[in-house]
Amino acid sequence: MNVETDISLHQRNVTMESRKKEKRRKSLGNYLFILPGGVFLLLFLVFPIGYNLKITFEDLTALNILKEQSFVGLENYVTVMKDKIFLLSLKNSVIFTGLCIFFQFTTGFAFALFFNKKFPGRNVMRALILIAWMIPMVITGTLFKWMFAGDHGIINHLLLWLGVLDQPIHWLINDHTSLYSTIIANIWIGIPFNMIILLAGLQSLPEETYEAAKVDGAGKVRQFFFITLPLMKPTILTLLVLGIIYTFKVFDIILIMTGGGPVNSSTVLPFYSYEMAFTNYNFSLGATINTIMLGLLVLVALVYLWLVRKEENV
Amino acid sequence: MNSLLKVNNKYFTTVIAVISTIIFLFPVYWMVTTSIKPMSGILSTTPQIIPREIQFQAYVKNFIQDTEILRFFLNSVIIATGSMILTLLFASPFSYALARLELKGRGWMIGFLLVVQMLPNIMLALPFFILFSKLHLLNNFISLIIANATLSMPFAILVLRPFFMSIPKGLEEAAVIDGCNRFTAFWKIVLPLAKPGLLTVGSFCFLHAWGDLLFALILTTDKSVRPLTVHLYTFVGQYGTDWNSLMAVATVCVIPIIIIFIAFQKHIVGGLASGSVK
Repeated sequence: MNVETDISLHQRNVTMESRKKEKRRKSLGNYLFILPGGVFLLLFLVFPIGYNLKITFEDLTALNILKEQSFVGLENYVTVMKDKIFLLSLKNSVIFTGLCIFFQFTTGFAFALFFNKKFPGRNVMRALILIAWMIPMVITGTLFKWMFAGDHGIINHLLLWLGVLDQPIHWLINDHTSLYSTIIANIWIGIPFNMIILLAGLQSLPEETYEAAKVDGAGKVRQFFFITLPLMKPTILTLLVLGIIYTFKVFDIILIMTGGGPVNSSTVLPFYSYEMAFTNYNFSLGATINTIMLGLLVLVALVYLWLVRKEENV
Repeated sequence: MNSLLKVNNKYFTTVIAVISTIIFLFPVYWMVTTSIKPMSGILSTTPQIIPREIQFQAYVKNFIQDTEILRFFLNSVIIATGSMILTLLFASPFSYALARLELKGRGWMIGFLLVVQMLPNIMLALPFFILFSKLHLLNNFISLIIANATLSMPFAILVLRPFFMSIPKGLEEAAVIDGCNRFTAFWKIVLPLAKPGLLTVGSFCFLHAWGDLLFALILTTDKSVRPLTVHLYTFVGQYGTDWNSLMAVATVCVIPIIIIFIAFQKHIVGGLASGSVK
C-alpha cells in the first residue's frame, strides 16, 4: 500500500517536473523568434546610438580617427551651445517644423473632410494625391528647385502674371526666402499623409451621432466643432506628434534645394549635423548635435507614448 | 426633382475634386512635361503649360547615349530589394513573437521600438560611416542594405504586429497538435496568412530604401554601388540648370514607385492608416 503511494507520488513528481521543463523550454523557444532581429537591432541600432553618445565626450575628427581618444567631458556641448549657427539652425528647425505642421495639417484636414464625401472617382483621386507623399524627397526637392528657379521658374511666372511681383525673385539664393521655399516644398509632401490619416479617422466615426445631431438641428459647422473635433482628438494628437517628429528630421529637401544657404539662412539641425560631420569632418561636434536632437525627439516621443497608452486604456 | 439635384450635387463634388487634385498634382505634371519639352520651350518668356512641341531628346541623351545611369538604376533595385528582404526576414518572427508569444518585457520592447522608429537618419548615418569604414564596407551593397534595413525594421515590426494578432489562434494550435513544431507552424501556417501585412510592410521598406539619399551619400564614394538618388543629387550639382535632363532623370526615378503604388495601392493606404497611428 505504502509502496504503491510512493511510486504514484514519485511518478507524479516526475511528470510535474517534465512539464515544468517543457514549459521552460517552450518559453525559451519564444525568445528564438526574436533572437535574429534582436541581435541585428542591438548591433546596428543600439550600438551606433551608444557610439554616437560616446564620441560626444571625445574630440574625434577625420584627422585623428585612428588615434586613441581622450575624454573631454562636456566641452563639445558647451562649444555647440555657444555656436551661433547652431542656435540659428535650432530656430530654423522650429520655424520649419511649426509652419509645415500648421499648413499641412489644416490643408490635409480640408482635403480629408472633402474626400470623406461619397462621389464618383473618389478612391482614384485619393490614391493619386498620395503619390506626392511617395515620391523620394530628392526628386521633390529637385522639382521644387526648378519651380522656384529665379529664371524661368513657374512660380515667378505665375506671381508676375498675377501682378503680385513686378520682378522675379531668386527664391533659393535670397536669405529672406530660402527657408520658406523649402517649407512650401515640404508642406506639399506632408498634405497627403495628413489627409490619409485624418480620412481614416473620419471614416471610423459613428454615423448615428451625426444623425442625432441633425435631428437636434445642429448645422454643419456646429457638427464639426462639437462632434468631429472632439471624437477625432486621439487621431489628431497622435498625427501632430508624428508629424513633428517626421518634419523635424527633414534633410534631403534642404540639401537639394538650398544646401542650407545662403549664409546658413535655411540650415536646420539635421543639416547642420551633416555639415559638421561630413563637410568639416568634425565627428564629435556632429554627434553632439545629433544627441541634442535625440533629446528633443525623446521628449516628443514620450508625449507620443503617453498618448498611445492613454488611448489604449480607454 | 430632388434626386436629380442630388445627382447633380454629386457630380459637382466630383468636378471640384478633380480640379483640386489637378492643382495639387501640378508639380508632377510640370516635371513630366519639362522633360519632354525642347530647351526653347522651357526657357520661353511665357511658360508653356501645354507643351507646344514634344521631343524625347533628354531621354535619349541620358539613357540611350549614356548608359551609365542604367547601372545606378540597377544599384537602386539591388539596395531596395535587399533591404526589403532583410527587414522582412528579421522583422516577421520578431513581430509574431510580440503579437502572440509569452515574452518578458514585451511592453518595454514595444516602447523601445516606438521611440527608435522616429530616429533621424543622420543620427545613424554618422556612426555607420565610422563603423563601416573601419570594417572596410564603404562602397559595398552590404553596408547600404544594412543601413536601410535598420531604419525600417522597428517600423516593420510594429506595423506587422496587428496583422499577426488578427490571425485566429486555433490554426497554429491545430498545426502543433498535428505534429508541427512552432517554427514550422509559423513558417507554413502563419506567414502565408499574414501575406497582406507582408505586402504592406514590404512595399514600404522598398520605397524607403529606394528614396534614401543620406545613407548612400555617406556610405558610397565611387560609382560602383551608387543608387539613382545620389546620381540625381550630383547631377543637380553638375548641370544646375539643365532642367530638361534633370526632369527626365527624376521622372524615370519615380516610375518604379508609381508601378509599386498601383500594384499595392490597397495595402499601402490601409497600412499607412493603421500602422502609423497605432
